[in-house]
Amino acid sequence: MTLQKRIWRTLSENKGRYIGIFILIFLGSFTLVAAKGFADNYALLVNRFALHNLQEDLSFSVDQPLDGLAALEQETGAAIEPYRYADIPLSDKGELRLLTPQQTVNLPAVTSGSGLQQPGDILIDPFFAATHGFKIGDRIDTGHQSFRIVGTLALPHYIYPLKYINDVLPPSGFGIGLIAAADMEGYPEAVTVYSVRFAGRENLGGQIISLREALDKQGVKLSDWTDAGNNKRIRMPWATITGAKTIAVPLPVTMFLLCCLIVGIVIWRTVKSDSVIIGTLYAQGYRRRELTRHYLTLPLLLAAAGGLTGVLMGLPTIDPIVKYMANSYYIIPYEKLALSAADILAGILMPTIFLGLAALLVIRRELHKTAGELMKGDKAKVKINFLERRLRLERFPFGAKFRLREQLRSIPRLLFLLFGVTAASVMMLFGFTLNHSMNIVFQSGVNGTYNYAWEYSFKETRQGEVPDGATPFNALRCYPDSKENAEFYLTGIASDADGILLRDADGNLLPKNQVNITYLLADRLKLREGQRIAFVSKLDGQSYELVVDGIVQTYSGQFIYMPLEDFNKLTGQPAGSYTGVFSMRELPYEEWELAGVKDLQNLNSAMDDLAAPMTSMVIFMALVAAVMGAIIIYLVTSLMIEESRPAISLLKVFGYRSKEVRALILNGSAWVVLLGFMLSIPLMLASASALYGYLGEMINMVLPIILSPAYVILSFALIVTVYLATKELSGRKIIKIPMSEALKAGSE
Amino acid sequence: MFLTVSNLTKSYHSGITTPVLNGINMELEQGCIGVILGPSGSGKSTLMNIIGGVDRADGGEVLVDEIKVTALTDDQLTEYRRQRIGFIFQFYNLVPNLTVAENIEVVSNISKAPLPVDAVLSAVGLADKKRRFPRELSGGEQQRVSIARAIVKNPALLLCDEPTGALDYVTSRGVLALLQKVNAEYGTSILMITHNSAIAGMAQAVYKLRDGKVAEAYRNSQLVPAERIEW
Repeated sequence: MTLQKRIWRTLSENKGRYIGIFILIFLGSFTLVAAKGFADNYALLVNRFALHNLQEDLSFSVDQPLDGLAALEQETGAAIEPYRYADIPLSDKGELRLLTPQQTVNLPAVTSGSGLQQPGDILIDPFFAATHGFKIGDRIDTGHQSFRIVGTLALPHYIYPLKYINDVLPPSGFGIGLIAAADMEGYPEAVTVYSVRFAGRENLGGQIISLREALDKQGVKLSDWTDAGNNKRIRMPWATITGAKTIAVPLPVTMFLLCCLIVGIVIWRTVKSDSVIIGTLYAQGYRRRELTRHYLTLPLLLAAAGGLTGVLMGLPTIDPIVKYMANSYYIIPYEKLALSAADILAGILMPTIFLGLAALLVIRRELHKTAGELMKGDKAKVKINFLERRLRLERFPFGAKFRLREQLRSIPRLLFLLFGVTAASVMMLFGFTLNHSMNIVFQSGVNGTYNYAWEYSFKETRQGEVPDGATPFNALRCYPDSKENAEFYLTGIASDADGILLRDADGNLLPKNQVNITYLLADRLKLREGQRIAFVSKLDGQSYELVVDGIVQTYSGQFIYMPLEDFNKLTGQPAGSYTGVFSMRELPYEEWELAGVKDLQNLNSAMDDLAAPMTSMVIFMALVAAVMGAIIIYLVTSLMIEESRPAISLLKVFGYRSKEVRALILNGSAWVVLLGFMLSIPLMLASASALYGYLGEMINMVLPIILSPAYVILSFALIVTVYLATKELSGRKIIKIPMSEALKAGSE
Repeated sequence: MFLTVSNLTKSYHSGITTPVLNGINMELEQGCIGVILGPSGSGKSTLMNIIGGVDRADGGEVLVDEIKVTALTDDQLTEYRRQRIGFIFQFYNLVPNLTVAENIEVVSNISKAPLPVDAVLSAVGLADKKRRFPRELSGGEQQRVSIARAIVKNPALLLCDEPTGALDYVTSRGVLALLQKVNAEYGTSILMITHNSAIAGMAQAVYKLRDGKVAEAYRNSQLVPAERIEW
């Protein structure tokens, strides 16, 4: 159809505008497909591993070997299987935890090489192999025995290979290895742990309670009991997945919807500016559906092309990201991904549907007018609005008056520019602020509060004296009475714990003989000094109540600090009880006593490592936002020039120089850019607060929103640079507008 | 009678009601040229838009070739314009990014029995400029394209809204001559709006509008060829 030839000509005549739109759609589709694909596929990988390799639901240790295992399994409907482990320091190769294989729970997955075939064979984790340069066929000498490495493995209960259950990160040089049960006989210090997996997968909580009751009935004395839900070796990947899902998916979706809105507005303005042609074609007998089809072609073409390119480029990134995560942070057997047809379709269809609908609405709205109205174009509507009247522009010099009139004459265009600048600034500020907040949390959070070098936590509660230079603490995991997902630690600290510095918002030290709540938790629960908090212990469901005396200005997490003696009294523990100590020096505790050790001095860099994937994502988002911002401003400015062509042409006829025309047409919008940026700050704070609130609800991860003046200035500088660059580019368009256009006004 | 307008009324409402047509009556025979004269605001364009089916009347009736235009639905009006009406506008309203030939094809594509595009281009004297874009043509040439676009569907009624309003004297006479030629060659009925009373000489029927009413109507027994019209 002849009319369709216009599509290609319109595209080539407005290359800049349509390339901009294409990139916007592409970026939205790309980030959506990549982020969602990663989160979904990574979850699938973790889930599949847990399911196929029969990941434990809990593990426990007992003081005496367990008798009558078969009867207990029968009674509780669970597979209960012991394994043994021993930690072996290697002369210069860190430390290796040797484990024995299981047959009914926690089945090992061999990720390279072969399985255990004969005594003396060992499978090691790939991190350990990489860290120490071990290859298949090498030998590991434990001092007691020499093992031949036959392959690498992944274990469902050691996805995150922590040494102690309360550790944040695996100690440097630490790894796991699987050896035959017969080989473990050479290590008499080996500890036995029972892994449990229930056959019925529903009501796991109830089944766990029944098992515990059955063990109690048998008089079994438990020395350790860890649910999979509290086992960081199992749960950590889920924190990553949930984090990715809650941050990586809403952000691109928001960006994507924003793209659609911006593109929808551009299409709307384009259709409006084409109203004379639409009216003419309509008058010549074109049907509404024919015109609708014609005007839908361009947005649909752009949407499909942008969406398809986004999908095609987004899909190949999923596999490397998942592979990287599977091989760099957690030990999960990597399997080739099965890409979801739904995701692929969504990547293409979402822009097509959104843009198609936006364009359809706009076109239908225009076609509701009569051909006569349409042929009048916008000329009929150029009237002085209330803003223009109220400002009494005649007081100003010509230049200012002209610039203001140009802006005020089309309020929708003014709003579009304001919206575009605000949206771009919000995204840019959001990326920077998220990055800055995380840096603050990781860099100053721990250091600001704990001036100790080490934190030791014990498997069992202790009483009595602590070593010299150490200060005891006791802690209980709790949640607010009606908000189970806002978990926090109630921590009892010694009043003379000089290394713990609790400061209020003014930087003054808070007394340690009172109840102090961290700012993040207080903010989340809307608590102020003097208010009461009711909470429940996660351990035994016991309810407690405290009055908040002080708020600690720290970003280190969600804690309530109280005097240790009051803590013990409140929780019904004997005086002098503690579950851990802080110390300025390394203490010679035996490994069997410990549930975790934290090197507080090195925690920051370790946390940086842990946050690296999130940081890269945030930086990527900020970059995408900067590109989008640039495109949005370019689109709006070029649209402004397009709509001002008659005025530009006329000014040239009057003898204005191109520079003067550019100043009159383009400089008028500088104040809109400034206003848009200023508006973006409260808007960003509100949207970040909403997103962080959501994050807190989803994964109990609370991040403060800390606006950095440096980043605000940087964002503003970027926006202004983009605006100036766009003006420069657009200025060239102004030069190209011929004077004949004014003379032939209305002729085309 | 090919065109009959009876008691046509129309008002515009934008806060206040402004009557535009106050009971118009007029007639035009098949194959004739009619001219509507009148000052700005007299209702000429509104009248033509209602006859052409791009606007609706508040009251009265328009009959074109036995079709009761004022009773048609939106879809029927589209079909009516598509098959029977050709429009020529003062400012040509060409599609800027289509060539001369394509601007004509845009309409021939949707017509049931269009005239050959090349023949129409030859008729309007633009056969050698078919590949040019509108911006590469003079005003008179653009108006010729607009005429070619209107007649390519071989309409029963050609509605011309100030077709020479934006043109110089010589070019205007050329355009008027072309319209007369179309009328003679294709037997197309033409209704033309103009400010220029000199043009009335080339029309069989002349209606002068004032304040939304026909102030004067007369018929010319002797027609003046466009080339001889002077003003």
